[in-house]
Amino acid sequence: MQRGKYFKIILLGPALIILAATAAYPLGFTFAMSFRNWQLAKSFTPQDFIGFDHYVRAFTDDIFLNSLKVTLEFVALSVPTSILLGLAMALILQRPTNLNRFVRILLILPFAVAPALKGYSWRFMLDPGYGIFDQMIDFLFPVLKDIVWLQEPFWALTALAITEIWGWAPLIALVFVGALGVIDPEIPDAARVDGANDWQVFRHVTLPLLRPIIMLMTLLRIIYSLRLFDQVATLTGGGPGRSTETLNFFIYRTGFRFLDIGYASALAYILMAILFVVTFLYVKALMRDPQNDS
Amino acid sequence: MTAKALTQQPIRHYGMEALRVLGALLIIFFVIFPIFWLFLTSLKNEGDTWSSSLSFTPTLSNFSQLFDGKPYDFGRMLLNTFFVSVVSALFSVPIATMAAFAFSRYRFIGKDLLLVAVLASQFLPGVVVLIPFFILFRDLQLLDTLTALIIMHLSGGIPFGIWMLKGFIDSLPVEIEEAAVVDGASEFGVLRHITGPLIMPGIVTVTVLSFIGSWNEFMFAFILTKTDAARPMMVGIMSLSGIRGTPWNLMAAASLILMVPVFILSLSIRRYFVQGLTMGAVK
Repeated sequence: MQRGKYFKIILLGPALIILAATAAYPLGFTFAMSFRNWQLAKSFTPQDFIGFDHYVRAFTDDIFLNSLKVTLEFVALSVPTSILLGLAMALILQRPTNLNRFVRILLILPFAVAPALKGYSWRFMLDPGYGIFDQMIDFLFPVLKDIVWLQEPFWALTALAITEIWGWAPLIALVFVGALGVIDPEIPDAARVDGANDWQVFRHVTLPLLRPIIMLMTLLRIIYSLRLFDQVATLTGGGPGRSTETLNFFIYRTGFRFLDIGYASALAYILMAILFVVTFLYVKALMRDPQNDS
Repeated sequence: MTAKALTQQPIRHYGMEALRVLGALLIIFFVIFPIFWLFLTSLKNEGDTWSSSLSFTPTLSNFSQLFDGKPYDFGRMLLNTFFVSVVSALFSVPIATMAAFAFSRYRFIGKDLLLVAVLASQFLPGVVVLIPFFILFRDLQLLDTLTALIIMHLSGGIPFGIWMLKGFIDSLPVEIEEAAVVDGASEFGVLRHITGPLIMPGIVTVTVLSFIGSWNEFMFAFILTKTDAARPMMVGIMSLSGIRGTPWNLMAAASLILMVPVFILSLSIRRYFVQGLTMGAVK
C-alpha cells in the first residue's frame, strides 16, 4: 500500500511526539547537564560549564568505581547461573508429558512477581532469626549456620542474585523449551544412529543448535542486570556498607538524594554507554536471527 | 525413530524417567515454595510469623488491617496503582497500534532507523529519563502526582507496544486490506474494521503487558512520589518497615494483594508472555 501521505503522519504523529518527549529530550538534556555543575539544593538553574570534569571525577571516585565493580560482580553472579539453571530445567521439562506441561505453566509465576516484591519477600525468608530459607540452609549446610545473610558483603550480593535467578531461570527455561521444540527430531536421531551417546548428542548437536537463542538470552539478562535497581532498594538498600550499591543505585543516590544533577547526569551517561554496547549486540543478534523475521 | 534408538532406550528408561520426574518436582518446589510461604505468612498473626511450623490458626486479619487506613492508607495506594496502570494502558495501546500499523504497512524515509530507535528506547536506563523529568515535574508542580507517573509509564509502554503489535500486523496477509480498499474502504476504515479486529489477540496481550508493567513498576514511583495520595502500593509497602522491625505478616499480605492479579493476567496471556518479555526474541 503506498497511499495516504497524511494518514501515515496521523498514525505516527502521537507515538513520535511522545517518544521525542520521553526518550530524545531526556537523552539530550541529560547529556548537556553532564558537562555542567548543578547542585539542585543550591540552585534552581544549571551552573557553569565544566567540560569533561564530571567524567574525569567519576574515574577517580572510589564510590563510583565500587558501584561499577558491584554491578559487574552482580552480572557475573547472576547471568551465567540463570542461563545454566534455565537450560537444565528446559532439558528436564523437554518432553510434553502431562506433568511437564503443568510445570511449564508454573514457570511464568516467578517472573510475574514484581522485582520490588522479590526483594521484600526474600528479605523476610533470609532473616537470620526466623527466615525459612535461613533455616533450610542451616539445616542443609551446617557450615553456613553463623552467616547473617544480608550483613555480609558477599552473601548480600548473592542474595540479590538469587532474587534475579529465581525470577529469570524459569522464564529462560520456558524460552529454551520452545527452542528445543522446534529442533527437527531427525537430527539428534541421525547422530544416535551414528553411535553418539546422550551426552554427545547434547554437546555436539543440541547445544550448537541452541547457541543463537542462548546468546540472545545472555545479552538480554546482561541488559537487565546492568540496570538492577528495585531489589537493591527493597532487599539490601545498597548495604552492608556499599557492598551492594549497583551503578544504577549509586546514580539514584547522587541525583535524587544528594541532588547533584550534573554528576548524576554524567554517571547516567556512563551507564548508558555500557548499556549501549550490549543493546547494540542484542538488537544485531535479534535482527540476524533467522527464525525472527520482523 | 530408528531401530537402534528403540533398542537402546529400555535399558536406562526407568532410571532416566524417575530422574526427570524428580527434576520436575524439584522445579515445582523451586518455583512455588517462596510464593507458597508468602501465602502462609499472610494468613498468620504476628506471633506465628516467627515460627516455621505449619500448624497455626489462619486469619484474614492482616488483610483487613491493611485497609483500615491507619497508619498508612493502603486502600488509596492500591487505587493509585490501579488507576496509573489503567490510564497508562488506555493511552499507550491505541497510540502504539496506530504507529505499528504505519510501520508495518507504509513506506517512509528513515523507517528502519526509527524502528531500531523504538526497539533501543526500551532499554534506556530509567534514571536517564528521570533526571530531566524530575526537574520538569518539580518546575510544573507535578512531583508526587499520578499524572507524573502516567507520563513516565508512557515512555516505556509505547515503544514496547509498537514493537509487539508490528509483529502481529506483519504476520497478516496484506491482501485482505487491499481488497477492502478496492471495495471502497477508507484507510482508517481498514485499520478500524479489518486489521484491528484481526490483531485483537495482539492488542489484548499488549494491553495486559502494559498494565502489568505499570502495576509492577517501582523506580519511578519510588523517586517521584512522597505521600499516600500519589504513591502506588508497590512503594507504599516499604513504609511498613519501621524502627520496631517489619511486621512480615502484613508485608506478606500486601505483597500477595499485588501478586495475585498479575498471576491471573500473566496466565491469561500465557501464549504471548515470553515473546512479550523478550521483546520478540522468541516466537
